[in-house]
Amino acid sequence: MERQTGFARNAAENPCNMCMPMGGIIPFKGVEKSMVILHGSQGCATYMRRHMAEHFNEPIDVASSSLNEKGTIYGGEKNLKLGLDNLIKLYNPGVIGILTTCLAETIGEDIDRIASEYLLDRGLNDVSLVTVPVPGYGGSHSEGYWMATRSIIARLSREAPANRRINVIVPHISPADIREIKRILQLMRIEYTIFPDFSDTLDSPFTMPYKKIPIGGTGIEEIAEMSGAAATIQMGVTASREISPGHYLQDTYGVPLYNMPIPIGLENTDKLFAVLKQVTGKDMPESIFSERGRLLDGMVDSHKYNAAGRSAIFGDPELVLAIAGVCRENGITPVVVATGSKSFMAAEAIKSSAAVDVPEQSLLAGTDFARIREHCREKSVNIAIGHSDGRYLTEKEGIPLVRVGFPIHDRMGGQRLLSVGYTGTMTFLDRITNTLLEEKHKNYRHGIFDKFYTGKMA
Amino acid sequence: MAINDKHIDAILETYPAKVKRNRKKHILIKDSAQAHQEIEANTRTIPGIITNRGCAYAGCKGVVLGPIKDMVHITHGPIGCGYYSWLTRRNKAKTPEGGQNFLSYCVSTDMQESDIVFGGEKKLARMIDEVMDIFKPNAVTVSATCPVGLIGDDIGAVAKAAQEKHGIPVLSFNCEGYKGVSQSAGHHIANNGIMDKIIGQGELIETPACYSINFLGEYNIGGDSWEIHRVLEDIGYHVVSVLTGDGSYETIKNAHVADLNLVQCHRSINYIADMLEKKYGTPWLKVNFIGVTSTIESLRNMALYFGDKDLIRRTEEVIARELARIEPVLDQYKKICEGKTAFCFVGGSRGHHYQGLFAELGIETVLAGYEFAHRDDYEGREVIPAIKTDADSKNIPDLHVEPDRKYFKLKLSPEKAEELKKRIPLSNYPGMIANMKDGHIITDDLNHYETEEFIKLLKPDIFASGIKDKFIPQKMGIPSKQLHSYDYSGPYAGFGGAVKFAEDIAMAFTSPTWNFISTPWKDKPLLEGAMQKEGH
Repeated sequence: MERQTGFARNAAENPCNMCMPMGGIIPFKGVEKSMVILHGSQGCATYMRRHMAEHFNEPIDVASSSLNEKGTIYGGEKNLKLGLDNLIKLYNPGVIGILTTCLAETIGEDIDRIASEYLLDRGLNDVSLVTVPVPGYGGSHSEGYWMATRSIIARLSREAPANRRINVIVPHISPADIREIKRILQLMRIEYTIFPDFSDTLDSPFTMPYKKIPIGGTGIEEIAEMSGAAATIQMGVTASREISPGHYLQDTYGVPLYNMPIPIGLENTDKLFAVLKQVTGKDMPESIFSERGRLLDGMVDSHKYNAAGRSAIFGDPELVLAIAGVCRENGITPVVVATGSKSFMAAEAIKSSAAVDVPEQSLLAGTDFARIREHCREKSVNIAIGHSDGRYLTEKEGIPLVRVGFPIHDRMGGQRLLSVGYTGTMTFLDRITNTLLEEKHKNYRHGIFDKFYTGKMA
Repeated sequence: MAINDKHIDAILETYPAKVKRNRKKHILIKDSAQAHQEIEANTRTIPGIITNRGCAYAGCKGVVLGPIKDMVHITHGPIGCGYYSWLTRRNKAKTPEGGQNFLSYCVSTDMQESDIVFGGEKKLARMIDEVMDIFKPNAVTVSATCPVGLIGDDIGAVAKAAQEKHGIPVLSFNCEGYKGVSQSAGHHIANNGIMDKIIGQGELIETPACYSINFLGEYNIGGDSWEIHRVLEDIGYHVVSVLTGDGSYETIKNAHVADLNLVQCHRSINYIADMLEKKYGTPWLKVNFIGVTSTIESLRNMALYFGDKDLIRRTEEVIARELARIEPVLDQYKKICEGKTAFCFVGGSRGHHYQGLFAELGIETVLAGYEFAHRDDYEGREVIPAIKTDADSKNIPDLHVEPDRKYFKLKLSPEKAEELKKRIPLSNYPGMIANMKDGHIITDDLNHYETEEFIKLLKPDIFASGIKDKFIPQKMGIPSKQLHSYDYSGPYAGFGGAVKFAEDIAMAFTSPTWNFISTPWKDKPLLEGAMQKEGH
């Protein structure tokens, strides 16, 4: 697998990833009554809020300690504490994530000390502060997401009596995906703690009156008791051990970990039900079995069109891996599989997955869109699957894009895209198949005309 | 309803005492009985308050430099900053035949931990080499992000060496995010660089055509600049350069030859306007091409400046032609909009500019403000001498310019200039407050909490906002018009833009969607106890 170090180029030309704090914000949106403050220049918070707001179409309130030049010289402690004061006064959160940025990390701010001093000093015991070191240069948003998820659990969990619940730790999937996983668990009458649960907070129903902190998210008490769960199912095979929340729970509290890919695709969803059976002893409900049958039936119907698909897949490593599986299962050849993440673990996980085992395939880690584009040309890609920034592949190379993942800022409804489970896979696969068909029909008449009447085509 | 101090105090009551005192100075109720109303602006953002402000990098690379199409804009820093400013403003640009356009590219040095530890200068130098190799641009900019200044990378030296090596201009900008108090600092830094390194580098000695102008502070969001150009060119103006929407290094370098500089967005470009006057003797005229009345006034003021009879006649002809075309259409939309109220809180000039356009549709702007403006944008340029410099503003040095030996040419005699200044805003901007009605609210650096509270207090019918804040009014059941990048609509400038805007605003009011939502205050009977409500 090609990696950044092997590049001749230094330039990141049209990046395929964002920075760590961006990923770090999202899990906090999946905690009940939670807010985030970024310790650094206010531009970080503003930029990230702007991008998240455009994807989720929701107000995204993220505070900043608004450090300026003075703060870079004398330290930003005062600003951070003032920021916390104001945030608490205005929002009254139960949990506050304190995330660092390039600035705070470069000047060496000790946010752990500041946070504990702050709580003591203000005599606060009804708010938890969760610190997460996420310098922008430390990794991509994908690693930031796992870091924050792990930090929240590490900070909020405590020794708890064994309970019957199972932990379900989800990667950065859509709110609709989280809702689908919850539906499956509820249907099976399984007691669970799903975390982070931003299914309502980042896709909130229209209700009056407006709430500054949207309702929803995993309860603080539930997170605290994840330590006593019967098992953890984590959809995070690309997260390295030191940032993996499931591993934290296993190593610290001995909660057995079942680490598996996102249940997108028939095989991956089967895996979920196999794990659920193993953990709870419960079989797949009949209604879900029908959903599986419908997916299979749909795959039979679609395979003849999908066989022509040569896909380029890009985005978060975890999602890329699952999508490659969907493609493989139905005869679409994933000829370019790429992620902007430079995480070694992510690269290794993708590389060792059977889902991407295709001859002459380009596997790109730590890559940018300039490189993805080159490989798309080389490998005659005819369908791109990933987030909105792949739109340049359409503009410059005429390759149609099926939007999935984050961010989707040039279309509506990124937060509502459903891709997990048998039903989700079916709708996702239909989006892919229909894009291929649309492309085929768009060019069909011209193609036939050229072939039989003008002789232009070979 | 008449708003008074008590209403404002009630909103600010939630804040800690110190914050309350601070925010109070940023909020005014317009009262023309007072000789002068002062507002606090361009001071440090209160931490933790969910401001809408951005950083110096955003103002420099994102706003001012970004739209220059034939330069490759390199972000020296970790990947995020470059990514987040990747063509997000919808500043449109047309590739001229045989010309260059790199706007759809985002180029970053993608600094890693090791670069922070060992320095990123070498990486930057190698990267400029690659950019030359791949793109062969006319010129390159390098913009710094937070860590660059902190680790002491000398991007000026790298740029200088690269310039010598490649023989093209390589401009560096120390616009680290922590500089100043908002993106405004970045505008200033970009202005200094453009003035120092681009303008005056062109080969033109004098203007190639009559009535030549530079168009400053117009960023061609959604094609605004093109709609204005259509009319300007029709009248007979020659546009030398635009800073910076659809602008290019190749045209900006000749900006010194124009007869007049137009200033649309005062905040982001007034430094260059001022310096062009000192260095080349070219005055600037504050224009506003948002709204029909303002557009007409701007066109008439331009014609007055040149004082040419034919130009004045042609101006009136074009105005008459355009009005005949758009007025009947606008009248239709006005029927829908009449009597409604708006909030207008955007950026550094739009909070003011759009008020006129709203008024033409019969919509009163009851609250307006800027994210990152200075006092002069509110109170008018005459307050500039009275503005205290503080540690933050001192960090962005003023570029000192002298009359250029080669190109300085007084375009107007001092007498003529004085006479004109009585009639038109020549080298002057009277600010937002002057235009507002008594009892209406002016607020600087509005945050999410106050947004919600002011909506509850004033119950506007529409909220003209940025991207981040538009979802609050929408969640409260109030239509929003996003004036940062126009929600994929526009152009909104000039005559044609006014029609498009009217269409979009009328659509916002008439969309059947709202029938399914009733805002709490609209549900309350106007007369208490008049009739028992049923079915609720």
